[in-house]
Amino acid sequence: MSAGPDMLVAIAVSVLLVAGSIFSLLAALGLLRFPDLYTRMHAASKAGTVGSGFLLLAAGLHALDIAILLRALAGFAFFVLTAPVSAHLLAKAAHQAGYKLTNLSVTDQLPLAKQKSDRL
Amino acid sequence: MSASAILSFSTAFALVTLSLGLLLTVARIVRGPTLPDRVLGLDMLVAIAIGFIAVIAIRSGFNLYIDIAIALSLVGFLATVAFARFILARGLSPESASADSRAAIAPKRGKAPAPARRQKKGGRR
Amino acid sequence: MRFIVVNLLLTLVWVAVTGSFTLHNLALGFAIGAMSLLLVREQLPASLHRVRPVKMLLLAGLFFKELTLSAIKVAFMVLTPDMRLRPGIFAYPLTITRDFEITLLANLITLTPGTLSVDVSDDRKMLYVHALDCHDPAAERRAISTGFERRIREAFPA
Repeated sequence: MSAGPDMLVAIAVSVLLVAGSIFSLLAALGLLRFPDLYTRMHAASKAGTVGSGFLLLAAGLHALDIAILLRALAGFAFFVLTAPVSAHLLAKAAHQAGYKLTNLSVTDQLPLAKQKSDRL
Repeated sequence: MSASAILSFSTAFALVTLSLGLLLTVARIVRGPTLPDRVLGLDMLVAIAIGFIAVIAIRSGFNLYIDIAIALSLVGFLATVAFARFILARGLSPESASADSRAAIAPKRGKAPAPARRQKKGGRR
Repeated sequence: MRFIVVNLLLTLVWVAVTGSFTLHNLALGFAIGAMSLLLVREQLPASLHRVRPVKMLLLAGLFFKELTLSAIKVAFMVLTPDMRLRPGIFAYPLTITRDFEITLLANLITLTPGTLSVDVSDDRKMLYVHALDCHDPAAERRAISTGFERRIREAFPA
Protein backbone atom coordinates (compact mmCIF):
# COMPACT_ATOMS: atom_id res chain seq x y z
CA MET A 1 0.00 0.00 0.00
CA SER A 2 2.60 2.55 1.05
CA ALA A 3 4.73 2.66 -2.05
CA GLY A 4 7.43 5.33 -2.48
CA PRO A 5 5.75 7.96 -4.67
CA ASP A 6 2.40 7.47 -2.98
CA MET A 7 3.98 8.21 0.36
CA LEU A 8 5.82 11.27 -0.97
CA VAL A 9 2.60 12.79 -2.30
CA ALA A 10 0.83 12.07 0.96
CA ILE A 11 3.59 13.78 2.93
CA ALA A 12 3.65 16.82 0.62
CA VAL A 13 -0.15 17.14 0.81
CA SER A 14 -0.05 16.79 4.60
CA VAL A 15 2.60 19.50 4.94
CA LEU A 16 0.56 21.85 2.75
CA LEU A 17 -2.59 21.05 4.73
CA VAL A 18 -1.02 21.67 8.12
CA ALA A 19 0.76 24.86 7.01
CA GLY A 20 -2.33 26.22 5.25
CA SER A 21 -4.67 25.57 8.13
CA ILE A 22 -2.24 27.10 10.63
CA PHE A 23 -1.87 30.21 8.48
CA SER A 24 -5.67 30.49 8.30
CA LEU A 25 -5.97 30.15 12.06
CA LEU A 26 -3.29 32.80 12.63
CA ALA A 27 -5.03 35.13 10.20
CA ALA A 28 -8.25 34.73 12.16
CA LEU A 29 -6.36 35.30 15.40
CA GLY A 30 -4.82 38.42 13.89
CA LEU A 31 -8.28 39.60 12.93
CA LEU A 32 -9.17 39.36 16.59
CA ARG A 33 -5.99 40.81 18.10
CA PHE A 34 -4.98 43.75 15.91
CA PRO A 35 -6.21 47.11 17.16
CA ASP A 36 -7.93 48.64 14.13
CA LEU A 37 -9.39 47.90 10.72
CA TYR A 38 -6.28 48.75 8.74
CA THR A 39 -3.92 46.56 10.74
CA ARG A 40 -6.48 43.72 10.75
CA MET A 41 -6.51 43.95 7.01
CA HIS A 42 -2.82 43.03 6.97
CA ALA A 43 -3.57 39.75 8.73
CA ALA A 44 -6.56 38.90 6.55
CA SER A 45 -5.02 39.76 3.20
CA LYS A 46 -1.63 38.09 3.69
CA ALA A 47 -1.88 35.14 6.04
CA GLY A 48 -5.45 34.43 4.92
CA THR A 49 -4.51 34.36 1.25
CA VAL A 50 -1.52 32.10 1.83
CA GLY A 51 -3.56 29.78 4.04
CA SER A 52 -6.40 29.23 1.59
CA GLY A 53 -3.93 29.07 -1.29
CA PHE A 54 -1.95 26.27 0.38
CA LEU A 55 -5.12 24.31 1.07
CA LEU A 56 -6.23 24.65 -2.56
CA LEU A 57 -2.79 23.54 -3.75
CA ALA A 58 -2.97 20.55 -1.42
CA ALA A 59 -6.31 19.55 -2.93
CA GLY A 60 -4.88 19.88 -6.45
CA LEU A 61 -1.76 17.91 -5.61
CA HIS A 62 -3.71 15.14 -3.91
CA ALA A 63 -5.70 14.31 -7.06
CA LEU A 64 -2.53 13.45 -9.04
CA ASP A 65 -4.24 14.66 -12.18
CA ILE A 66 -2.76 17.44 -14.29
CA ALA A 67 -6.19 18.88 -15.16
CA ILE A 68 -7.24 19.11 -11.54
CA LEU A 69 -3.87 20.50 -10.49
CA LEU A 70 -4.22 23.18 -13.17
CA ARG A 71 -7.70 23.96 -11.92
CA ALA A 72 -6.44 24.31 -8.37
CA LEU A 73 -3.62 26.55 -9.64
CA ALA A 74 -6.19 28.68 -11.47
CA GLY A 75 -8.18 28.97 -8.26
CA PHE A 76 -5.02 29.99 -6.41
CA ALA A 77 -4.26 32.59 -9.06
CA PHE A 78 -7.80 34.01 -8.87
CA PHE A 79 -7.48 34.20 -5.14
CA VAL A 80 -4.08 35.90 -5.18
CA LEU A 81 -5.33 38.41 -7.76
CA THR A 82 -8.61 39.26 -6.04
CA ALA A 83 -7.59 39.33 -2.37
CA PRO A 84 -5.42 42.48 -2.59
CA VAL A 85 -8.01 44.23 -4.73
CA SER A 86 -10.79 43.67 -2.21
CA ALA A 87 -8.51 44.64 0.69
CA HIS A 88 -7.48 47.78 -1.16
CA LEU A 89 -11.10 48.72 -1.94
CA LEU A 90 -12.24 48.14 1.61
CA ALA A 91 -9.36 50.18 3.07
CA LYS A 92 -9.97 53.01 0.64
CA ALA A 93 -13.72 53.03 1.29
CA ALA A 94 -13.24 52.95 5.05
CA HIS A 95 -10.68 55.76 4.94
CA GLN A 96 -12.80 57.94 2.68
CA ALA A 97 -15.86 57.33 4.82
CA GLY A 98 -13.82 58.61 7.77
CA TYR A 99 -13.08 55.56 9.88
CA LYS A 100 -10.04 56.49 11.93
CA LEU A 101 -6.72 54.76 12.36
CA THR A 102 -5.77 53.41 15.76
CA ASN A 103 -4.22 55.75 18.31
CA LEU A 104 -0.93 53.92 18.00
CA SER A 105 -0.53 55.27 14.49
CA VAL A 106 2.40 57.57 13.88
CA THR A 107 1.53 59.21 10.57
CA ASP A 108 -1.36 59.57 8.18
CA GLN A 109 -0.28 61.30 5.00
CA LEU A 110 -3.41 60.44 3.07
CA PRO A 111 -5.52 63.58 2.86
CA LEU A 112 -9.03 63.04 4.20
CA ALA A 113 -11.82 62.78 1.68
CA LYS A 114 -11.98 66.02 -0.26
CA GLN A 115 -15.58 65.39 -1.10
CA LYS A 116 -17.41 62.20 -1.67
CA SER A 117 -16.40 61.30 -5.18
CA ASP A 118 -18.18 58.55 -7.01
CA ARG A 119 -14.97 57.13 -8.39
CA LEU A 120 -13.90 53.77 -7.04
CA MET B 1 2.31 4.51 9.03
CA SER B 2 0.64 4.27 5.64
CA ALA B 3 -0.05 7.13 3.26
CA SER B 4 -3.78 7.09 3.92
CA ALA B 5 -3.22 7.18 7.67
CA ILE B 6 -1.03 10.27 7.33
CA LEU B 7 -3.62 11.91 5.10
CA SER B 8 -6.53 11.18 7.40
CA PHE B 9 -4.58 12.54 10.36
CA SER B 10 -3.55 15.74 8.58
CA THR B 11 -7.02 16.39 7.16
CA ALA B 12 -8.52 15.94 10.62
CA PHE B 13 -5.94 18.35 12.03
CA ALA B 14 -6.72 20.87 9.27
CA LEU B 15 -10.47 20.60 9.90
CA VAL B 16 -10.06 21.24 13.63
CA THR B 17 -7.69 24.18 13.04
CA LEU B 18 -9.96 25.72 10.43
CA SER B 19 -12.95 25.35 12.74
CA LEU B 20 -11.07 27.28 15.41
CA GLY B 21 -10.25 29.95 12.86
CA LEU B 22 -13.90 30.12 11.82
CA LEU B 23 -14.88 30.59 15.46
CA LEU B 24 -12.39 33.43 15.96
CA THR B 25 -13.60 35.15 12.80
CA VAL B 26 -17.21 34.88 13.93
CA ALA B 27 -16.17 36.43 17.25
CA ARG B 28 -14.71 39.37 15.32
CA ILE B 29 -17.88 39.73 13.25
CA VAL B 30 -20.09 39.77 16.35
CA ARG B 31 -17.80 42.15 18.23
CA GLY B 32 -16.34 44.19 15.38
CA PRO B 33 -16.97 47.77 16.45
CA THR B 34 -17.53 49.15 12.97
CA LEU B 35 -19.14 47.99 9.75
CA PRO B 36 -15.85 47.66 7.79
CA ASP B 37 -14.56 45.35 10.53
CA ARG B 38 -17.54 43.08 10.00
CA VAL B 39 -17.12 43.18 6.24
CA LEU B 40 -13.49 42.18 6.67
CA GLY B 41 -14.63 39.36 8.94
CA LEU B 42 -17.04 38.12 6.27
CA ASP B 43 -14.24 38.25 3.71
CA MET B 44 -12.06 36.16 6.00
CA LEU B 45 -14.99 33.78 6.59
CA VAL B 46 -15.20 33.16 2.85
CA ALA B 47 -11.46 32.55 2.68
CA ILE B 48 -11.63 30.00 5.49
CA ALA B 49 -14.67 28.37 3.88
CA ILE B 50 -12.64 27.93 0.70
CA GLY B 51 -9.94 26.21 2.72
CA PHE B 52 -12.58 24.02 4.32
CA ILE B 53 -13.95 22.99 0.94
CA ALA B 54 -10.45 22.10 -0.25
CA VAL B 55 -9.89 19.90 2.80
CA ILE B 56 -13.27 18.21 2.28
CA ALA B 57 -12.27 17.60 -1.34
CA ILE B 58 -9.19 15.71 -0.13
CA ARG B 59 -11.09 13.79 2.53
CA SER B 60 -13.97 12.72 0.34
CA GLY B 61 -12.07 12.34 -2.92
CA PHE B 62 -14.59 14.38 -4.92
CA ASN B 63 -12.46 16.72 -7.02
CA LEU B 64 -15.55 18.63 -8.09
CA TYR B 65 -15.28 20.50 -4.78
CA ILE B 66 -12.33 22.46 -6.17
CA ASP B 67 -14.63 24.07 -8.74
CA ILE B 68 -17.02 25.00 -5.96
CA ALA B 69 -14.13 26.61 -4.08
CA ILE B 70 -13.18 28.67 -7.15
CA ALA B 71 -16.77 29.81 -7.64
CA LEU B 72 -17.04 30.71 -3.96
CA SER B 73 -13.85 32.76 -4.10
CA LEU B 74 -15.18 34.80 -7.04
CA VAL B 75 -18.55 35.35 -5.34
CA GLY B 76 -16.81 36.36 -2.11
CA PHE B 77 -14.69 38.88 -3.98
CA LEU B 78 -17.77 40.43 -5.59
CA ALA B 79 -19.54 40.58 -2.22
CA THR B 80 -16.61 42.42 -0.65
CA VAL B 81 -16.46 44.88 -3.53
CA ALA B 82 -20.19 45.54 -3.20
CA PHE B 83 -19.82 46.09 0.55
CA ALA B 84 -16.91 48.47 -0.02
CA ARG B 85 -19.01 50.52 -2.41
CA PHE B 86 -21.81 50.54 0.12
CA ILE B 87 -19.48 51.82 2.86
CA LEU B 88 -18.21 54.51 0.53
CA ALA B 89 -21.74 55.57 -0.42
CA ARG B 90 -23.11 55.53 3.12
CA GLY B 91 -20.20 57.27 4.80
CA LEU B 92 -19.66 57.18 8.53
CA SER B 93 -22.69 56.05 10.50
CA PRO B 94 -23.45 58.10 13.64
CA GLU B 95 -23.19 55.09 15.96
CA SER B 96 -19.75 54.08 14.82
CA ALA B 97 -18.57 57.69 14.95
CA SER B 98 -19.44 57.83 18.64
CA ALA B 99 -17.87 54.42 19.18
CA ASP B 100 -14.72 55.70 17.53
CA SER B 101 -14.47 58.77 19.74
CA ARG B 102 -15.04 56.67 22.84
CA ALA B 103 -12.27 54.33 21.74
CA ALA B 104 -10.06 57.39 21.24
CA ILE B 105 -10.58 58.49 24.85
CA ALA B 106 -9.66 55.10 26.29
CA PRO B 107 -7.28 53.47 23.81
CA LYS B 108 -6.97 50.13 25.62
CA ARG B 109 -6.11 48.10 22.59
CA GLY B 110 -6.93 44.47 22.16
CA LYS B 111 -10.13 44.68 24.14
CA ALA B 112 -12.63 47.48 24.18
CA PRO B 113 -15.73 45.64 25.29
CA ALA B 114 -17.91 48.52 26.42
CA PRO B 115 -18.07 50.55 23.18
CA ALA B 116 -18.24 47.39 21.15
CA ARG B 117 -21.27 46.08 22.99
CA ARG B 118 -23.00 49.42 22.96
CA GLN B 119 -22.31 49.74 19.27
CA LYS B 120 -23.82 46.34 18.61
CA LYS B 121 -27.04 47.22 20.36
CA GLY B 122 -27.21 50.55 18.59
CA GLY B 123 -26.68 48.82 15.28
CA ARG B 124 -29.51 46.38 15.84
CA ARG B 125 -31.93 48.94 17.19
CA MET C 1 -4.26 40.98 -34.09
CA ARG C 2 -4.04 41.53 -30.35
CA PHE C 3 -7.56 40.14 -30.07
CA ILE C 4 -6.41 36.88 -31.57
CA VAL C 5 -3.42 36.60 -29.23
CA VAL C 6 -5.56 37.27 -26.17
CA ASN C 7 -8.23 34.94 -27.49
CA LEU C 8 -5.73 32.12 -27.94
CA LEU C 9 -4.52 32.66 -24.40
CA LEU C 10 -8.09 32.50 -23.13
CA THR C 11 -8.64 29.31 -25.11
CA LEU C 12 -5.60 27.75 -23.47
CA VAL C 13 -6.87 28.76 -20.02
CA TRP C 14 -10.31 27.31 -20.84
CA VAL C 15 -8.83 24.02 -21.98
CA ALA C 16 -6.66 23.86 -18.87
CA VAL C 17 -9.53 24.59 -16.53
CA THR C 18 -11.98 22.17 -18.14
CA GLY C 19 -9.21 19.61 -18.44
CA SER C 20 -9.82 18.00 -21.85
CA PHE C 21 -7.65 18.69 -24.87
CA THR C 22 -10.13 17.68 -27.59
CA LEU C 23 -10.77 19.63 -30.77
CA HIS C 24 -14.38 20.27 -29.76
CA ASN C 25 -13.35 21.72 -26.44
CA LEU C 26 -10.73 23.93 -28.13
CA ALA C 27 -13.39 25.30 -30.47
CA LEU C 28 -15.78 25.87 -27.61
CA GLY C 29 -13.07 27.64 -25.61
CA PHE C 30 -12.23 29.84 -28.59
CA ALA C 31 -15.89 30.79 -29.02
CA ILE C 32 -16.34 31.59 -25.34
CA GLY C 33 -13.10 33.59 -25.32
CA ALA C 34 -14.29 35.58 -28.33
CA MET C 35 -17.62 36.30 -26.67
CA SER C 36 -16.04 37.46 -23.42
CA LEU C 37 -13.57 39.63 -25.35
CA LEU C 38 -16.53 41.16 -27.19
CA LEU C 39 -17.97 42.17 -23.83
CA VAL C 40 -14.84 43.99 -22.65
CA ARG C 41 -13.51 45.28 -25.98
CA GLU C 42 -13.73 48.93 -24.91
CA GLN C 43 -11.59 48.35 -21.83
CA LEU C 44 -8.76 46.63 -23.66
CA PRO C 45 -5.59 48.71 -24.06
CA ALA C 46 -4.89 50.15 -27.46
CA SER C 47 -1.87 47.94 -28.07
CA LEU C 48 -0.16 44.99 -26.52
CA HIS C 49 2.67 46.14 -24.32
CA ARG C 50 6.17 44.99 -24.87
CA VAL C 51 6.99 42.37 -22.31
CA ARG C 52 10.24 40.76 -21.23
CA PRO C 53 9.35 37.19 -20.31
CA VAL C 54 12.47 36.44 -18.25
CA LYS C 55 12.13 39.61 -16.21
CA MET C 56 8.46 38.82 -15.71
CA LEU C 57 9.37 35.39 -14.34
CA LEU C 58 11.87 37.07 -12.02
CA LEU C 59 9.11 39.41 -10.85
CA ALA C 60 6.80 36.45 -10.23
CA GLY C 61 9.54 34.65 -8.30
CA LEU C 62 10.22 37.72 -6.18
CA PHE C 63 6.50 38.06 -5.57
CA PHE C 64 5.99 34.51 -4.32
CA LYS C 65 9.05 34.75 -2.11
CA GLU C 66 7.80 38.00 -0.58
CA LEU C 67 4.27 36.63 -0.19
CA THR C 68 5.48 33.64 1.83
CA LEU C 69 7.81 35.84 3.90
CA SER C 70 5.04 38.33 4.64
CA ALA C 71 2.60 35.62 5.70
CA ILE C 72 5.21 34.20 8.07
CA LYS C 73 6.03 37.65 9.40
CA VAL C 74 2.39 38.51 10.06
CA ALA C 75 1.88 35.11 11.67
CA PHE C 76 4.78 35.70 14.08
CA MET C 77 3.55 39.20 14.79
CA VAL C 78 0.14 37.84 15.73
CA LEU C 79 1.75 35.35 18.08
CA THR C 80 3.94 37.83 19.98
CA PRO C 81 2.16 38.75 23.23
CA ASP C 82 2.94 42.44 22.95
CA MET C 83 2.59 43.62 19.36
CA ARG C 84 4.87 46.61 19.09
CA LEU C 85 2.88 48.26 16.34
CA ARG C 86 3.60 51.67 14.95
CA PRO C 87 1.17 51.74 12.05
CA GLY C 88 0.62 54.65 9.73
CA ILE C 89 -0.10 55.70 6.18
CA PHE C 90 2.72 57.16 4.11
CA ALA C 91 2.67 58.67 0.64
CA TYR C 92 4.78 57.04 -2.03
CA PRO C 93 5.61 59.10 -5.13
CA LEU C 94 5.13 56.96 -8.23
CA THR C 95 7.55 57.04 -11.11
CA ILE C 96 5.61 54.58 -13.25
CA THR C 97 2.71 56.12 -15.09
CA ARG C 98 0.62 53.51 -16.88
CA ASP C 99 -2.53 52.29 -15.17
CA PHE C 100 -1.83 48.59 -15.32
CA GLU C 101 1.64 49.11 -13.88
CA ILE C 102 0.23 51.07 -10.97
CA THR C 103 -2.38 48.35 -10.42
CA LEU C 104 0.31 45.69 -10.45
CA LEU C 105 2.50 47.65 -8.04
CA ALA C 106 -0.43 48.26 -5.68
CA ASN C 107 -1.30 44.56 -5.67
CA LEU C 108 2.30 43.55 -5.07
CA ILE C 109 2.65 46.04 -2.23
CA THR C 110 -0.49 44.70 -0.58
CA LEU C 111 0.87 41.18 -0.51
CA THR C 112 4.33 42.04 0.84
CA PRO C 113 5.48 42.29 4.44
CA GLY C 114 3.92 45.00 6.53
CA THR C 115 2.53 47.15 3.72
CA LEU C 116 -0.93 47.57 2.25
CA SER C 117 -1.84 50.03 -0.47
CA VAL C 118 -4.83 52.17 0.42
CA ASP C 119 -5.34 54.77 -2.28
CA VAL C 120 -3.99 56.42 -5.41
CA SER C 121 -4.19 60.17 -5.82
CA ASP C 122 -6.42 61.49 -8.60
CA ASP C 123 -3.49 62.53 -10.77
CA ARG C 124 -1.83 59.08 -10.43
CA LYS C 125 1.31 60.55 -8.91
CA MET C 126 1.02 59.30 -5.34
CA LEU C 127 0.32 55.92 -3.88
CA TYR C 128 -0.80 55.87 -0.26
CA VAL C 129 0.48 52.86 1.62
CA HIS C 130 -0.48 51.66 5.07
CA ALA C 131 2.43 50.10 6.94
CA LEU C 132 2.42 48.11 10.16
CA ASP C 133 5.74 49.65 11.12
CA CYS C 134 5.82 53.20 9.89
CA HIS C 135 8.45 54.85 12.07
CA ASP C 136 10.76 55.22 9.05
CA PRO C 137 8.74 55.93 5.90
CA ALA C 138 11.88 56.83 3.94
CA ALA C 139 13.24 53.30 4.32
CA GLU C 140 9.90 51.82 3.22
CA ARG C 141 9.87 54.08 0.16
CA ARG C 142 13.39 53.06 -0.73
CA ALA C 143 12.53 49.37 -0.40
CA ILE C 144 9.58 49.70 -2.79
CA SER C 145 11.39 51.79 -5.37
CA THR C 146 14.46 49.55 -5.52
CA GLY C 147 12.41 46.34 -5.30
CA PHE C 148 9.09 46.04 -7.07
CA GLU C 149 8.99 49.32 -8.97
CA ARG C 150 12.36 48.69 -10.59
CA ARG C 151 11.37 45.11 -11.47
CA ILE C 152 8.10 46.28 -13.00
CA ARG C 153 9.89 48.88 -15.09
CA GLU C 154 12.29 46.21 -16.31
CA ALA C 155 9.54 43.70 -17.10
CA PHE C 156 7.40 46.20 -19.04
CA PRO C 157 9.70 48.62 -20.86
CA ALA C 158 7.91 51.61 -22.32
